[in-house]
Amino acid sequence: MKGRLALVTLVLAYLCLLPGFIGQMKERPIEVKLGYQPHARVIRLVSGEFSPLVAEMSVVNLLFYYGTLVDKWQKNIIIRPEYMNMFRMLSTVSELDPYNQDAYYFAQAAFTWELGRVKEVNMLLERGMQFRTWDHWLPFYAGFNSAYFLKDYAAAAKYMQRSAELSGDTLRTKLASRYLYESSRTSMALSFLDGMIAREKNAAVIKTYQVRKEALQAVDTIEQAVLAYRQAKGGNPAQVSDLVASGLIKVLPRDPYGGEFYLDNDGRVRTTSQFANPDQR
Amino acid sequence: MSKFAVLIQVNLKTILRDRILHAILGAVVVGLLLVPAISSFSMRQVQELAISLALSGISFFLLVMAILLGSSSIWRDVEQRHTTSVLTLPLSRTTYVLAKFAAIAIFLLGTGILLGICSIPLISVAAASYPSDQPILWGNLVVALCGDIAKSMLIAAMALLLSSISTSFYLPFFGSVVLYLCGSASQEVYEYVTGEFVRAMHPLVIVIIKSVYCLLPNLAAFNYKVQAVYALPIPFEQIAWSVGYGTLYVAMILVLAVLTFNRRVLG
Repeated sequence: MKGRLALVTLVLAYLCLLPGFIGQMKERPIEVKLGYQPHARVIRLVSGEFSPLVAEMSVVNLLFYYGTLVDKWQKNIIIRPEYMNMFRMLSTVSELDPYNQDAYYFAQAAFTWELGRVKEVNMLLERGMQFRTWDHWLPFYAGFNSAYFLKDYAAAAKYMQRSAELSGDTLRTKLASRYLYESSRTSMALSFLDGMIAREKNAAVIKTYQVRKEALQAVDTIEQAVLAYRQAKGGNPAQVSDLVASGLIKVLPRDPYGGEFYLDNDGRVRTTSQFANPDQR
Repeated sequence: MSKFAVLIQVNLKTILRDRILHAILGAVVVGLLLVPAISSFSMRQVQELAISLALSGISFFLLVMAILLGSSSIWRDVEQRHTTSVLTLPLSRTTYVLAKFAAIAIFLLGTGILLGICSIPLISVAAASYPSDQPILWGNLVVALCGDIAKSMLIAAMALLLSSISTSFYLPFFGSVVLYLCGSASQEVYEYVTGEFVRAMHPLVIVIIKSVYCLLPNLAAFNYKVQAVYALPIPFEQIAWSVGYGTLYVAMILVLAVLTFNRRVLG
């Protein structure tokens, strides 16, 4: 009887303690750290048959980490991401489970626009293509990276052709030829981002894409106005405000990265933010 | 009913009455129920993660069961003098050891199939939430599950062998854990030493590693998880080799266990 009474008392005390405890735990500062991961070979030896699961859980861990960072950025708390550690982790994942698509897709999402590690991402995508032979998205991403970032249109056309063959999508063949002629890069980037957003389900990654899309839409608007200005006046405007003054744009679009748009000597639209958050510039 | 069948039945009943096993099975079932929720954390391979989690959960359960049941079998019977009473009956020691293994194997097979059936709706729910580019090849899942069951039977046989020579829990338990870890890594190590880094190693070391590789159980032979998760083709030849290897290896271990137990002096 005494024992039961003691147990009931303890359970009640525990229940009383819980709300305060949970509240206190919520207030605790979260250590936003990715942590250390051993070499892929070591993990393979230790995890054995569970290697694919370890790989996927590493990606999930990475997504949580990235999601926390995006959440902080939205609250104007700037934490510099452990990009090298993140990329190392993705490389490890691709060695543990070369079929893991999350690793390749996340590398594409996080390391191209923000960091410009396009060559490294394309190497990772090449590795993925050796294993995920049915996946038309990997050559599609590699093709986009080659054209948009590296301006290597021959490589882009090759990747896009492969993507078109795998997907049976004729649009990709057209894209391949469009890459060869380097036409309308901004609108191509916008259609690429639309495709990425449509297929994405991770909220943090979607958010970064949407910010990027907003920036590119602004660039596209200015580019169209510059084109109209050239046709009307036979030369480039001296500055972006000339576009507003001439009535081609009502209001100058906002750069979601916090920069200001300007025109370089060739009349190309640039921004002081370099399309990156302040900590990444 | 033959003496062998009766002995299997008795052993199986003892296993099924074990409350620790009930608790572990309950924990695994709860873990499996969480599969759809956990797999939703993946970016784009929700279905793949669900399959991976379900198969890994079942495999882990079977592994734990195989080690616990195998390593707590013969030495405990000897210690509690069950063998003294059982072996006074017209029963050979061979029948006794083989019936022990058969009961463990039947339990592993039954629970493996049961958990496999439980995971079907869970994988289906997860897959429906975010359809994958790849189909679910249920045949591959069955092969992967059978591979895990076969692997756990092999581990149980090894634990039984160690249990037949041991006088305590420690040798069979830790011995089978070590053998599992070595058996899981042996293929990886073999590929490493026969690969491009082989020049950096002394030839004698390579010969020793290759010999150890042949002696240790190669558990990678029973691992079909990647093929099940990513719907990759599984050649029939590969399955046939695994079956042949597993059957022969288990048979060898059981013969060794019988020989060892036949020579054992029972107090």
